[in-house]
Amino acid sequence: MKRLIPVLILICAVSISGTPDQAKKILPYPILQKKMDNGLNVVTVPYPSPGLAAFYIVVRAGSRDEIEAGHTGFAHFFEHMMFRGTDKYPNEKYSEVLKSTGASANANTSLDRTLYHMTGSADKLELMFELEADRFQNLNYSVDGFKTEAGAVKGEYTKNSASPYVQLNEKIQETAFKNHTYGHTTMGYFKDIVDMPNQFDYSREFFNRFYRPEYSTIIVVGDVTQDKVNALAQKYFGNWKPGSYVSKVAAEEPQNEARYVHIKKAGFPPYMDINYKGPAFSDERMDMPALDVMCSILFSEKSDLYKKLVLQEQKCRFINGGAQDSRDPYLISIGASVVKAEDMQYVKDEIVKALENAKTTPFDAKIISETKMHLKNRFAMGIDNPTSIAESLSAYTWLTGDPESINRTYANYEKVTAEDMMSAAKKYFTPSTLTIGTISPEETASVK
Amino acid sequence: MKKLYMIPAAVFCLLALTASAQEVVELKQPSSNKVVVKLMFRNGSISDPAGKEGLTDITTSMIADGGTTKMTKSQIDDALYPWSASIGAGVDKEVSIFTFQCPSAYMSQFYPIMMDVMTSPAFSQDDFARIKSNQQNYVDEVIRSSSDEEYSKKALEDYLFRGTNYQHMVQGTSMAVKSITLDDVKAHFKNYFSVKNVMIGVAGNYPADFISKLKGDLAKLGSAPAAIAQPVKPKMPVGLQVEIVQKDNALGSAICMGFPIDITRSDDDFAALMVANSWLGEHRKSYSHLYKKIREERSMNYGDYTYIEWYDNGGQNMLPPPGVPRHSNYFSIWIRPVQTATGLKKQYQELSSISVGHAHYAMRMALKEMQTVIDKGMSKEDFEATRTFLKSYMKLYIQSTERQLGYLMDSRFYGRKDYITEMNALLSSLKLDDVNAAMKKYWQTQNFYVTIVTDKSEAEPLKKSIEANLPSPMSYSNVLKGSLSEEILNEDKSVEGYSLNVKNVAIINSEDTFKQPEHRHNPEQVTPEIKSGK
Repeated sequence: MKRLIPVLILICAVSISGTPDQAKKILPYPILQKKMDNGLNVVTVPYPSPGLAAFYIVVRAGSRDEIEAGHTGFAHFFEHMMFRGTDKYPNEKYSEVLKSTGASANANTSLDRTLYHMTGSADKLELMFELEADRFQNLNYSVDGFKTEAGAVKGEYTKNSASPYVQLNEKIQETAFKNHTYGHTTMGYFKDIVDMPNQFDYSREFFNRFYRPEYSTIIVVGDVTQDKVNALAQKYFGNWKPGSYVSKVAAEEPQNEARYVHIKKAGFPPYMDINYKGPAFSDERMDMPALDVMCSILFSEKSDLYKKLVLQEQKCRFINGGAQDSRDPYLISIGASVVKAEDMQYVKDEIVKALENAKTTPFDAKIISETKMHLKNRFAMGIDNPTSIAESLSAYTWLTGDPESINRTYANYEKVTAEDMMSAAKKYFTPSTLTIGTISPEETASVK
Repeated sequence: MKKLYMIPAAVFCLLALTASAQEVVELKQPSSNKVVVKLMFRNGSISDPAGKEGLTDITTSMIADGGTTKMTKSQIDDALYPWSASIGAGVDKEVSIFTFQCPSAYMSQFYPIMMDVMTSPAFSQDDFARIKSNQQNYVDEVIRSSSDEEYSKKALEDYLFRGTNYQHMVQGTSMAVKSITLDDVKAHFKNYFSVKNVMIGVAGNYPADFISKLKGDLAKLGSAPAAIAQPVKPKMPVGLQVEIVQKDNALGSAICMGFPIDITRSDDDFAALMVANSWLGEHRKSYSHLYKKIREERSMNYGDYTYIEWYDNGGQNMLPPPGVPRHSNYFSIWIRPVQTATGLKKQYQELSSISVGHAHYAMRMALKEMQTVIDKGMSKEDFEATRTFLKSYMKLYIQSTERQLGYLMDSRFYGRKDYITEMNALLSSLKLDDVNAAMKKYWQTQNFYVTIVTDKSEAEPLKKSIEANLPSPMSYSNVLKGSLSEEILNEDKSVEGYSLNVKNVAIINSEDTFKQPEHRHNPEQVTPEIKSGK
């Protein structure tokens, strides 16, 4: 292991190019931003992918913003409706033109955002801009089209629900959150999905609230220039009118005792999902970077827990753990696929023991530095195409509104100390905020 | 080009020759920050000995996820961690591929580990116990209880290839995995992971002498003659041969249908069939025809797609991954889960009297639309639009370094140099008549293997409905029915009674799938030459 130490110095050479300032950043390409007068942020990252460009639009609205009862799953449903046409490009025509771009185009929704993406020929960039600008400003689906699309969402729920993990996640969210909209999944409750065809008026309201320039960011990565991207943004999005809606999401009440949910399921590997309440994402505070580094140390294949529970004792098929990045405080989740259901308590105790230990015993300098290298190298190896860079930038954009957050976050990883991690462990690994979900053949959970 | 599996003796010679010369695929990228090495062995699950199905997969896992004679699995994990280097393995029917990735800056340190992993696996009892237990768990439980879509696809392969070496899942069968021993693994490694049947692929930023060193060091692999198992040709079904897999608490009916086709990427005709397939059912694209008819117009499910070759893990992948080249192909239709009668009755009071959900209707719609395009051909406009789309879209298959290398190696498998570039040229010279002729030559709708994974409450009524070709009127909720056009409702009438050439419908209990091949009934089959009209 001694040979690893000088290597730490070399890592800087791996992912660096461009200007000296840029050299300090995890992303070796400049992030060029322009805020338009209407509030729309336009981000360009020139990248050497000859003839290819990724075009992303992040809308900072997701299931978190479904604040009215009976409308769970609506942000996701609305993402579907965005493919249902405008006056200029009605449904059928929209599909034709989209096909003519030759792009890989789709969209997806999660807790905090809805993401629309196309990757294709850079020479189709103007057409991509035109198509997206038209539907973002002039979406005009029919009532009939609205009712019909709801069945596709029901189909999506139907296929997803075959997974016990998906079923458990729905229960964990509703158990862990009593006030906050994180209490329901992005997919939403089945009863609300079945009722979606009756919610046409609400869908127009949803569009008017969130499909606005101040909620949106355009990200273009690839064989492009900032001048060209900005000119296209001005041409096609310059007249987009800002809105005034401010999403008021209820804060979650403090949790004072552990909660449990269980799914009885024979013929499926027993599973345990241990969840603590975590922090909201921040690129300023050190608690999330400290948790990220710590969770890698605690739950990766390098970790003592993995070596003991998976390799040596073989009581688990896999373990994983981490804090999910989210705009409001969400969950730090630790999952374990347990070979025998009767070992669940033992596995839980071992995990808790490791977490308790993290509160009082500082991790040694070597594992901390190796983990920082690991995070940095993992990122550097992954950004070899415009799509993966656009995906990464999108994630930090929906979290903070600023894609530069990606560079600040990785800079923060470098600063994490053993004390930061002990402090985060003490603050967040508290038994009273636990929600434990289990799947096993037994009638009730055996874990305490 | 001729289909390779039509001339098995010639295949053997060709493969042996290229293998002994250690075929190398290079993709030098001096600006890259990493090195990707892929080793493709010409043995996949079809090399599994009878009764030891799953052995190739366990063997590759023991190599990629176990220790070496110098380092334990744990020590390897420790070494790779700071570099974020990775060692992975994937097995398909005809190939096993190991993929090694590491930042260029650490390659000199990673290299000896990589070579030990590949040439000196420890095959320890501890690693074997862990890996075998996980694989047993997969075939016993995971495949049946995690995704009904994936389940229906694997069940279709089990049905379509029944009685051939393509039948069993890569992971094996319940009884076979139980019987695999550590000695089996050691022998399999020695006999099949030979220097004689490996193709080397290297991409990224690596030193000038890297390839020659790698080739030299791989000589430490066994030198057993490359005993490449030959893919056995599946047989055409006689009529529609349907297996309904029933399980508890399934919310929908997941449907897969397919029949063998004598065409692969080796054939120039593949470009023509690719255009037809993209128009009818491009994977996860809203502008493909079946998607429009079943999902967009009728709100029946999440999507409906067609395939002219295996598409690995389609539920997760938006673009086709490399690493699963095959000589035995089949055409397939994937209809994502549609509603069951039990589900619809719970959701809508007005549907309280129905006895069958939407599966039968969806099958009819898909086959009717397919037959229509075979008979009438594509329009000139659709042909041009689809060809233009594919020429651009295929370039997206190879965005990353790893995918570029993977596609180049797959190209060699098919006797091509660069599939993406060559297919682009073939698409450019393609004519509408070529596409319409290819559909008539390779497609038909009278003979299909069909698997449907569904709820126990749906299985028997669905069986009766399909078996007797009973009418299957669409059961829309009132709220949806009121929003559908007369045109769609009229079209429904022509679909609900569309006659399918059903010959056999069987119900299988979920617990009985993927146990042992010989315990299942064999469908009525004929040779493909007769039924495909070739």
